[in-house]
Amino acid sequence: MNIRLQTIVWLVCLFISSLTVMAQQPRVRRQQRPLPTLTDTTRGPYTLVVSAGGGLSYYSTHLGVPATLEQTHVSRFGVPSSLRVMWYPDHRLRMGLETGWTTMYSYKGQVAGDNAHVYVSAIPILLVFSMPLAWLRGTDRSLVRRLAITAGTGMYVNHSRLDYAGTVFSNTNSLGWMAAASYTYPIGRKIRLAGELKWFDAVAAENAAFTAEIQFVWRAFSW
Amino acid sequence: MEGVYTVSNGASQFGDQAVLKWTYLFTGTDTTHYLSIFTGTDATYFNLEGTPEADSLVLKGYWRKLVNASIGEVRLILREKHNGKLQLFKGSLAPGDTLVVDGLYGDKSAALNNQLTLTYNRPLNPKPFSIMAHRSGGRTSDLLPASENSVEIIKLASRLGATGIEVDVRFTKDGVPVLYHDNTLNLRLIQKNGLTGPLEDYTYQQLSTLVRLINGEKIPTLEEALETVVNNTSLNFVWLDTKYIGPMDKVQAIQQKYRQKALLAGRNLRIIIGLPTTEAVDSYKALANKDNTPILCELDTSITRSLDARIWAPRWTLGPQTDEVLAMQAEGLTVFVWTLDEPEFIREFISQNHFDGILSNYSPVVAYYHYIEQQ
Repeated sequence: MNIRLQTIVWLVCLFISSLTVMAQQPRVRRQQRPLPTLTDTTRGPYTLVVSAGGGLSYYSTHLGVPATLEQTHVSRFGVPSSLRVMWYPDHRLRMGLETGWTTMYSYKGQVAGDNAHVYVSAIPILLVFSMPLAWLRGTDRSLVRRLAITAGTGMYVNHSRLDYAGTVFSNTNSLGWMAAASYTYPIGRKIRLAGELKWFDAVAAENAAFTAEIQFVWRAFSW
Repeated sequence: MEGVYTVSNGASQFGDQAVLKWTYLFTGTDTTHYLSIFTGTDATYFNLEGTPEADSLVLKGYWRKLVNASIGEVRLILREKHNGKLQLFKGSLAPGDTLVVDGLYGDKSAALNNQLTLTYNRPLNPKPFSIMAHRSGGRTSDLLPASENSVEIIKLASRLGATGIEVDVRFTKDGVPVLYHDNTLNLRLIQKNGLTGPLEDYTYQQLSTLVRLINGEKIPTLEEALETVVNNTSLNFVWLDTKYIGPMDKVQAIQQKYRQKALLAGRNLRIIIGLPTTEAVDSYKALANKDNTPILCELDTSITRSLDARIWAPRWTLGPQTDEVLAMQAEGLTVFVWTLDEPEFIREFISQNHFDGILSNYSPVVAYYHYIEQQ
């Protein structure tokens, strides 16, 4: 709880400092911006972008239900959430970290009249790279500048909960990867709305899910 | 019929020598006879069952190479070479006659269309030697027909050349000793069911109801495993590897119970508690009564001596350790080496003739090199 509170406080501070910096910068009209020149060696701007969202997931690989269970019911759907912090440099390739929480699947059934329920979920902890399909070409309204592909690799903490003759919570770590495609729509100077289709694959645990998410994208800080 | 045979037809696939060995499986009052063949190429074993057909003994089954996925069916007939002429075996050999086992083998699902001929050469090496199969018979990763540490692979172990087995003992959450090798439930060993984490987090009821090993077997209790060894096999050695940390008294009680059962059944079965770590040594030292509790120590010679263990089992990567091995044997100890899977090292360790036994995932290879060894 303390960690969550600290995170919120940190994000609020970041947001306020971002507004402060923004307020102190002189407003430059678009047509007055100097054109980049080949001899210009200044770098930037760099931006820290925070995305948070949620949606629907579908477990997209084989799953195993013990043959001893009767009257089984399997659910492959879940409600995932994700949090991504990206560094947008002054070139096309962006990188950052992603985490979140994704339901993989659950099943329930009966054994000799007793209920059994298994729920499997995963927390990805991934290093991600993202790239818009176009960068300097076109305008902000250009479709290819709003479309981006993202890929990442790292670890999944696979979590299982068993309710049968007691409750057992267990975790196992698995290497894995993700791939995603997104469309980002600007709704403010610092806020955007994105739709993302994503494939999570925890390879060693053989867990994979396809997710569709709506994300709020906040350009938190630029320098 | 047991012996070392020369392979003529089929040598390109199986090498030029083969070991033929009978094994038995007891089911109640019934006994099933199996003929195993071990060859020196790619850890090959044959699993054959004899069936009398007309006036001949027909051996049917399969061959398998453990180092890859090669497999095929086999059909062989027992013959004798009498006055240079091949004829069906009549049940006894006249002086000068030679046993010949020949027939056909297939490759994967192909028809049996390759000739295999084995001609008796000499008897098996009679020297006592322990061929111990790791994980109750072999590894799941070697695509054996039964999962490691299952009751089914214990029944298969003799056919893989083993005279004894090593089993991995852990405790469930409610204190039931079971057989399982790894630290966690994982897809290497169990069928996918969503359950993860340490086996010790689950009760025996949860495991026996919801968890199945890769080939569909239940995780057996230690008692089920030893019951199988005593009632169904001719194995003469069980090495209980201590994978748990904690009190050893339950395992000691089970070890003593099945030692008595074996004695009552007229079996000379040794059930030994293996001590691979200092924690296991501490658990052993904490036992209130150590009578009739034979142990095997995997640690160094001084610890082995201090515990008064009757078996010392160093890791094979420490090398032949000839001086230490001979010194321990001179003190009356038995010396095994583990877990040796490299065929060339297996051949070398056996030819050096120092160790009393080898623990291996490839017991067919150990059996082959042991039985062809000429004294």
